[in-house]
Amino acid sequence: MTMPDVLENFLAQMGYALLEYRGAGSFVPIATLPGWFKGLWDSSSNPIPLSEACPFLENFLFEAEAFWESPSAALCQSETWVEKTPDGHEIPLQARALFLGGKRVLALCNPGAQFHEQVQMLQTARNALLDHERLAREIQKKEILLHCIVHDLSQPLSVMHVAMDCLSEESLSERSKQFLTLGKLASNQQETMIRDILHTFSDDLRASLNAGTEENASTDLLACARKATQALASTFEAKRVRLTVTSPDDPAAQWLVRAEESRLQRIFSNLLENALRYSPPGSQVTVGLESQGEFLKAYVDDQGPGLPKDLRPEQIFGLFMKGKQGGGKAGLGLYFCRITVDRWGGSISCLSLPEKGSRFWFRLPRAAGQPAQPAQDVAKIAAPATPEPQPPPRPLRILFADDQPDIRTLTCHQLKRVGHRVVAARNGSEALRKIRACSFDIILLDHEMPGMNGDEVASAVRKREAGKNTRSFLIACSGNSGPEDVARLKKAGFDTVLSKPFQLEDLYRALAAAPAVAPATALCRKPSAPAQVAFSSVLARIGGDAQLLQRMIRTFLHDTPKRVTSIAAALRRNNAEELASLAHALKGSVSLFGAEPARKLAQDLQELGRAGDLSAAPTLLNSLQEEIANLLGNLRGYAKQNPARPRSAVTVRRKPPRKRGKRRR
Amino acid sequence: MLQKKICMLGSFAVGKTSLVRRFVESIYSDVYQTTVGVKVDKKNVQVNGTDLTLVLWDIYGEDDYQKMHWTYLRGASGYLLVADGTRKATIDKAFSLEQRVREEVGVIPFVFVINKCDLSQDWEVDSALQAQLTEKNWNLLRSSAKTGEGVEEAFALLTRKILG
Repeated sequence: MTMPDVLENFLAQMGYALLEYRGAGSFVPIATLPGWFKGLWDSSSNPIPLSEACPFLENFLFEAEAFWESPSAALCQSETWVEKTPDGHEIPLQARALFLGGKRVLALCNPGAQFHEQVQMLQTARNALLDHERLAREIQKKEILLHCIVHDLSQPLSVMHVAMDCLSEESLSERSKQFLTLGKLASNQQETMIRDILHTFSDDLRASLNAGTEENASTDLLACARKATQALASTFEAKRVRLTVTSPDDPAAQWLVRAEESRLQRIFSNLLENALRYSPPGSQVTVGLESQGEFLKAYVDDQGPGLPKDLRPEQIFGLFMKGKQGGGKAGLGLYFCRITVDRWGGSISCLSLPEKGSRFWFRLPRAAGQPAQPAQDVAKIAAPATPEPQPPPRPLRILFADDQPDIRTLTCHQLKRVGHRVVAARNGSEALRKIRACSFDIILLDHEMPGMNGDEVASAVRKREAGKNTRSFLIACSGNSGPEDVARLKKAGFDTVLSKPFQLEDLYRALAAAPAVAPATALCRKPSAPAQVAFSSVLARIGGDAQLLQRMIRTFLHDTPKRVTSIAAALRRNNAEELASLAHALKGSVSLFGAEPARKLAQDLQELGRAGDLSAAPTLLNSLQEEIANLLGNLRGYAKQNPARPRSAVTVRRKPPRKRGKRRR
Repeated sequence: MLQKKICMLGSFAVGKTSLVRRFVESIYSDVYQTTVGVKVDKKNVQVNGTDLTLVLWDIYGEDDYQKMHWTYLRGASGYLLVADGTRKATIDKAFSLEQRVREEVGVIPFVFVINKCDLSQDWEVDSALQAQLTEKNWNLLRSSAKTGEGVEEAFALLTRKILG
């Protein structure tokens, strides 16, 4: 037996079909054909027209023929393909072109087990990929849902904050002030909870937290504990549960830990609320602190039923974990405590106390080298003083767009109250129309508005400003103010982002961030400021003719109130064209006296009329009326102090009066 | 009888094999069975009075584990480009595959099929993508191998395009 015979026998026994190529897609078997071959193709003819029966082989023959014509060391092998027997059984096959004893040979084999292993591996990998894609989609959906929920929750909070700020400026009885303080406290707590939900679930925010201030933050653990207990004192009292904070043995001891104050206070609040939930009336909840070397420990002890026997401590701090007795909320409170304490490098756990009740404790690393944060006075925390709104350095022209009517009304009220000139818009399109009609120092835009949203308005504003020497200061009001959101909003053209729900201080802070704006114009001035006329300049312009000035003043005093009344009438009739024309005339007459604020207001009114959008006109008209009233007063004062010469001396020729009855018909 | 080679192209798990099985054998299985290698099926059809055999090359979906062999398209008269409407990434993949086919084998007839329309509530075809598709001016059909919707139509449309 020659060597090729041995090889042929070997390959045949291994289940290979060895076929000699005779050209034109036909083959002759050179060894016994395996059973699978006969099950697939008719082998009775000689040669076998295999490429006709098998399109895959017909395609592979291109590569095989190239190999047979110029054999190379490289293998000429097909990938796996699958053939089907007449009864539907699938057989995987591979083909290889060979030169055996000078013959052009095609070796076909069934990779069998090896193929099924490969299938199984790929199936597992692709299933995992599909699962991953599904999971990513689910997470994305949930994130969107969460942001929608947070946005919806934030809206009423914004109204509550601003409404309570407005109320606090009214004259209230001491009792009403106490109620207001409670309301503010509750709305602040609600806001903190919403932010906690975001912090808990948002990866972006979580990343920013890790990289943020907490690395360097230091907070007084004792002060936080006192603050949290003070805030919950009335709730405990209502349930007749005593709440105490044990005083440290060493009053001079430092209780600074590496933590961020508001979240540390939230941890205490969550633990206290949890303790209260399981405390029977008449029992006591105690907050205590301990020093443990490099760590400081805080604990909350209650006299309730103790921990459930079937739950391990780590399960109690799990996500969405609620006690069997109910009464809890979403099951996020203790989970929040755990992930926050973990993040700060601390630990948290709980245990049943020997007598009765349970202890929930956490410990945090001591703050290294940082000066203590001044602890706020507890009494002050319980009844925080109403923040006095700080008027900005000078009044501004502000456009405020928000689709939420309450927020719009209240915010505009507050901004006007401190002397700003505010124009409101109900949506993005209206905002853009008003921006086109009138110039503003600051444009405050709600991010999510129906139709045209804040981003789109900001982009349009920036596009409009391109190439011009003007730039409005754009502030986005958004419930989503994570780092990525802020980056996106700034990319859209906003200068800064005001996180919703906002309080007045936040709003003033955002306004204060605006760069130096142009000197106050008519729209920006405080209404009470008297309009000043530089009479010397006016006189200089008319060649020092005091008599002429007097006549001008008389004419102005006579005509102007009528003009303003006519403008108001045109506005009532919604006649934009007439309003523009009247405003134009008024603009000219006030210019004579150098009354720049009034001139600017008249010009703004004229522009609104020309743009055909009178929605902001009532506000402007009010301002104009105030301005004109001041101006008239000013002019009357001048006329009184500088009486005109007797009429006889005035070199004015008057036309003789027409005689009656001579009117031309 | 006249034979025409048609290739099935698209990302993995978009339903290429299911479309072929629905078309050839009128059967469907909900269980995802990945295709390794190539499966070739045949079906006799009559289009515009012409009898012909469609030779359907069901080629594995290209991914990180299996790279496409463009020699499989040798002699193809056309191809069905398949995407899964519930997975936007498969539509992007279809765009790149179409471009690759043009580069590798030139311009040949094809029909773009967005499969799984029985799950249309989960489709990720947004308005931007719709606009992109409209701009491409492709022959586009929605199909469901599960219900059979659009399957016959897709193959018939492709065959008509092949026959000119």
